[in-house]
Amino acid sequence: MKVRVDPERCQGHTLCAMRAPKVFELSEIDGHSSPVTEDVPADQEDAVVEAVRSCPERAISVF
Amino acid sequence: MTTAPDDTGDEARKQPRVHFDRHAPEYRHHFEEKTQEFHGGCPLAWSDTYGGHWVAAGNRELLAFARAGEKLSNDHDVHGERRGYQGISIPAPPRGRGLRGGFLEMDPPEQRAYRGALNPYLSPAAIKRWIPFIDEVTRACLDERIESGRIDFVDDLANIVPAVFTLAMMGIPLKKWELYNEPAHAGVYTPPNSPEMARVVEAHMAMIKDIAATLQEVRATPRPGLADALARMEIDGKAPADSDLIGALALLIGGGFDTTTALTAHALEWLSEHPAERERLSREREALLDTATEEFLRYFTPAPGDGRTVAEDCEISGKQFKEGDRLWLSWAMANRDPAVFADPDRVDLARGGNRHTAFGLGIHRCIGSNVARAVFKRMLLHVLDRVPDFVCDPEGTVHYETIGVIQGMRHLPATFTPGRRLGPGLAETLETLQRACDEQGLAEPVTVRKAEAKLR
Repeated sequence: MKVRVDPERCQGHTLCAMRAPKVFELSEIDGHSSPVTEDVPADQEDAVVEAVRSCPERAISVF
Repeated sequence: MTTAPDDTGDEARKQPRVHFDRHAPEYRHHFEEKTQEFHGGCPLAWSDTYGGHWVAAGNRELLAFARAGEKLSNDHDVHGERRGYQGISIPAPPRGRGLRGGFLEMDPPEQRAYRGALNPYLSPAAIKRWIPFIDEVTRACLDERIESGRIDFVDDLANIVPAVFTLAMMGIPLKKWELYNEPAHAGVYTPPNSPEMARVVEAHMAMIKDIAATLQEVRATPRPGLADALARMEIDGKAPADSDLIGALALLIGGGFDTTTALTAHALEWLSEHPAERERLSREREALLDTATEEFLRYFTPAPGDGRTVAEDCEISGKQFKEGDRLWLSWAMANRDPAVFADPDRVDLARGGNRHTAFGLGIHRCIGSNVARAVFKRMLLHVLDRVPDFVCDPEGTVHYETIGVIQGMRHLPATFTPGRRLGPGLAETLETLQRACDEQGLAEPVTVRKAEAKLR
């Protein structure tokens, strides 16, 4: 599984990092999210799917 | 939902019709029924109230508006210098109440400049540094009441902690919290025709005067905080007008005070009514604190919505809009959208996929969302640890009569088994905390100071 955060859509709601803190890091400046790496570790896949479902802006995609 | 008699011409596009008056006291009592009516077939409808405006109640529709970019405007053209738009309140405040609501009543690029200046004070990393400060104010508030076995969770806790913390971040002396607290709350819940209103207006004027004085002070003698960030900011090499800066500081007060109070009071009232859930939340807090917080935000949505003005003729979400149309984005109703939330009128402390809109959507997402979450969670944990058996008194509980602006509470008295104080009272604590703010520069942005507040 790979994950992306659309920087145009992300508004820094921070829900993804609550659901999958090992996968998403938040900017120190404005809290906007980006994945630590595009490849999702196998043991983090469920958490990432939950992060996708939790994003109010629908900014996260997995493929 | 009805079809209007006049379905020709411009009226034809203003369909379907609903009667929507969120300022009426009945709306609070019939919120769930009314919301179900919207979701039953008109998630985007026209209401004739307040000069006529669209009402968006569906999650999908709100997301479409959030992505509509320049087709929508937040601008409040107080002096009639641009297109006369009326900002985010429906109805707009009476003429002469001449302040723009800060950057929430601005569009990019101006709005972006403000957010850019303030973000480094309000990001998750910035707020995390303040946790010991928030804990200490909360501790002192509970200590004031803990030996008596009685507390008003609004007056004695949830009104105080957000107020003191907001002032600390702004760089305003903590001892002034009452000067700001009265107008920030009473200004929201006092009906315009009430005999109390004259006093509230006076308190509001005193607050605005102090904000203006603060701006002058930090210019003359810089001290860290949000006020300093605004005093130093420039847009295209020019300082914004003082009236806009005062509006921005008033927005931070309005955003920081009454909203978190409202969330905390409602959550504590609910937990008192559901003691088994309260015990479960306390016991399983590692797993449940985040999801429960988001669920309370979804279910109670303290700031129920925002207005917009359509800035060009366009189609959004399948409807035709004309430039100048007014639009109400109901974050509160979208948070009960059954298309997104299973069993939406039930509180589920472990709810998954909770992509609620309590902080809004798009570029105007509540800039204080990380503040609200942190302050709420710390107050909740202290209450669960120190007065775990609290029972709220429905007889003494006072909800806001109307929920058009904030779904809040005036009083939430409770009793509990008395406990022991852990430290000094509020006045002494605020003096200690003020020294910490001054000596450690706690209100610096995270780009300048990384360290957590040291209070012991």
